[in-house]
Amino acid sequence: MKAKTASKRRPSPLKEGLKKGLDALVVGGGSFGTVLATLLVRNRKKVALWVRRKEQAREINRFHTNKAYFPEAKLPPNLIATTSLRESVAAAPIVIMAIPSKSFREVTRQVGDYLSGEQVLVHATKGIEPETYRRMSEILKEETCALKIGAISGPNLAKELMKGDPAGAVIASHYEEVIQKIQSLFAGASLRLYGGYDIIGAEIGGAFKNIIALVTGCASGMGFGDNTKSLVITRGLFEMAQYGVALGADVFTFGGLAGIGDLMATCNSPLSRNYQVGLRLSKGETLKQILESTRQVAEGVPTTRAVHEQARVLNLDLPFVDAAHATLFEGRTVQDLFLRLSERPTSMELVRLFPR
Amino acid sequence: MRPEDQNRTVVEVVERVFSHQKQDVASIEQLLFDTLYEERRRLETEKDRKKAASEMAFYRRIQAKALKGGVEGQREALVAVIRHFAEEILGHFNETLFRLATQVVPVALNLLLNTLSPLRLIRDFPNGLGKLDDHVLIEGDKAALQSLSQKGTVVLVPTHCSNLDSILIGYVLHRLGLPPFLYGAGLNLFSNKLIGFFMHRLGAYKVDRRKKAPLYKDVLKTYAGYSMELGYHNLFFPGGTRSRSGSVEKKLKLGLLGMGLDAYIHNLIRKKDRPDIFIVPCTFNYQLVLEAETLIDDYLKEAGKSRYIIEDDEFSRLKRILDFVSGLFSLDSRIHVVVSRPLDVFGNLLDEEGNSLDHRGRPIDRRKYVMNQGGPAFHKQRDQEYTQELAGAIVEAYHCDTVIGSVQLVSRAVFQWLKEANPDVDLYRLLRTGGSQPSLPLPEAYRRILHTLDLLKKREKAGKIRLDSSLKKLDPVALLSEALAHLKSYHTQPVLTRKGDRLFHEDRNLLLFYQNRVPELEAPE
Repeated sequence: MKAKTASKRRPSPLKEGLKKGLDALVVGGGSFGTVLATLLVRNRKKVALWVRRKEQAREINRFHTNKAYFPEAKLPPNLIATTSLRESVAAAPIVIMAIPSKSFREVTRQVGDYLSGEQVLVHATKGIEPETYRRMSEILKEETCALKIGAISGPNLAKELMKGDPAGAVIASHYEEVIQKIQSLFAGASLRLYGGYDIIGAEIGGAFKNIIALVTGCASGMGFGDNTKSLVITRGLFEMAQYGVALGADVFTFGGLAGIGDLMATCNSPLSRNYQVGLRLSKGETLKQILESTRQVAEGVPTTRAVHEQARVLNLDLPFVDAAHATLFEGRTVQDLFLRLSERPTSMELVRLFPR
Repeated sequence: MRPEDQNRTVVEVVERVFSHQKQDVASIEQLLFDTLYEERRRLETEKDRKKAASEMAFYRRIQAKALKGGVEGQREALVAVIRHFAEEILGHFNETLFRLATQVVPVALNLLLNTLSPLRLIRDFPNGLGKLDDHVLIEGDKAALQSLSQKGTVVLVPTHCSNLDSILIGYVLHRLGLPPFLYGAGLNLFSNKLIGFFMHRLGAYKVDRRKKAPLYKDVLKTYAGYSMELGYHNLFFPGGTRSRSGSVEKKLKLGLLGMGLDAYIHNLIRKKDRPDIFIVPCTFNYQLVLEAETLIDDYLKEAGKSRYIIEDDEFSRLKRILDFVSGLFSLDSRIHVVVSRPLDVFGNLLDEEGNSLDHRGRPIDRRKYVMNQGGPAFHKQRDQEYTQELAGAIVEAYHCDTVIGSVQLVSRAVFQWLKEANPDVDLYRLLRTGGSQPSLPLPEAYRRILHTLDLLKKREKAGKIRLDSSLKKLDPVALLSEALAHLKSYHTQPVLTRKGDRLFHEDRNLLLFYQNRVPELEAPE
């Protein structure tokens, strides 16, 4: 009884926040969603974080933690979590989606129920939808009325961002308005956002690098050194560009933060989930065992499947993608993978890429 | 345009076009003299010497004024040039004819078909228009078009592959009981006396495509946009010109297309009662194209760049029109006009009430797209992107609502065989030489027709294309016969001929032209 009156007296921080209006809503309480919302609150913006589970929202609002993803970190007290899209979407001029590609469409559709054409809708998800091969921005368009859409992509390891280390990323959109609004939202934050128009390239870079991270993890697990890693990253970048240009990306994008930038961070960091998957595969664990033991999503796994299938359709030769696919889904060992790669005929290193 | 609207339209258009320009002294000077230069160059080649002389005198006066009057004089001179363009475009417009347009067109069309052959009049048209109704099938979202024309301003944007489109559209508007649409038609359509007679009656105003000055294009665009604001339904071909290659338009001209959004925002700012602009794509589908031979030749000569305006094509030769029309009637051929689902100016689909819907069918408040800090506002870069979205939606509608007939089907099947039989021969050589084999066995042709048909049917099922009823009824043998009969009925040189048990390809350019209408079928989506 007593508790009830107490909660009545204390107005919900969400309701308070919504009344004043939000600067942005981050959708997705995983590691990246949590860290983006945290950075924005630290940057003195009014931000709500939508999470799926009630207990998680309660944990964030009451104890200011999100232990499932950040066991150590303390979140800013004025970061509000909510489970209601109905209340939060309409209150935010900017909505940022940070949902794994697997459930991206479903959540986006729910967001679409409350969104209007005036709002800016961007995402920070690095993946490709399995089966349809859709990029996340395409799903944003299919599932909502939003036209002013964009993608955030770059070398952004969540744990480092949470610490407040300086970092950079790209906000790619066809709309200058989207670029400006997102840039000013992050202006002054430890994450610097550069603008770009090549949304396809930014998304492909972010998704494709997870495959290369996986292969790098395999190489490290085999005990190979930096030469091998550099070979995988550099040739991986070329594969990324081949694939991207075939889909209409600008080749220059892959020389930027969303391309080589993201590759360098992901492939060099033992923190990367996809790198970890590759590492553990090479130690003899099965994919099933690995996926069952972690709560976080390794986007590289479904992305490998999607890109492998699409590359076949587009008639592209992508050896690392083939290798990753063989190890993940065709029961090949990691040793076998590198043996097969070394047996390929060598060719010229650089070939000019033309859009199809 | 109603007389009471004409004067204020000129005033408004001149004011807007002037305000679009950079206002500093150097830019005004440059624009003025560039425009005068372009115009003088055009007048040097003008055939109508009397008209050229009077226009030349006008420009000389303008130039003198500009040179004498200093900064102010140049501004006034520029305004005078803009007004000259605006008045010329509006001046070609005849109010009475505009009102009469839809009543006159069908009669005129019949006349056109019949003056060519009095005998045919008796033989083919005992019941007047009835016959034409059988040959021109209007399909698709007719009801929405009719209802939206009451609720706001309609902008009709059809595909364009023949000058007959311009005449056909007048007939279609009549059949649907719609009022006339404002339509900017190229001067070359008027140069043919007989056709010009009909063009005047279509609600068409003259567009002089030889005027290359950007200022003139700006005046045209602004005029179209402003007329939409006043509630005049508009019609234009967003492909810009007839499809040279025979394929369905993939790229659209965005300038004129963007005027729909422009008018919409103007209307919202002025708080008009019926601010809405509805975009209605529409496809014209012929088995045979009147100007096919000229168009594909021009396409092969570097994509039509050299001859943007063609004046000596089949359209200007009455005998060719007669042959074309007689083929149409004698072969029980059908022209399909498909009205696509209407769109808003952002490319969203509309329901019959004119509400915008998202991909999931949920209603959208479309005004929100142009809101900025509480009110509707222009934003150049954003609006260009919105227009790009609209163009994408129109192109998609074009492809879904393209009707494939037996000629297109057979052309694709044969051309695909040609390419596969000569994998190392480039397109131009293949067209010229015909590759290694002049013919293919009939069974092979039938097999390929069936295969292409299967792929097309799959696509039709997914709602991505439409098929003429013959493709659903006939077997490959009958389909080939139908296609051959059509091609023979009109084209002067044989295109495909059946000799013994083989099928010979003769005019590969035309095969290419007709097969281009069919989308890429082999590659997955």
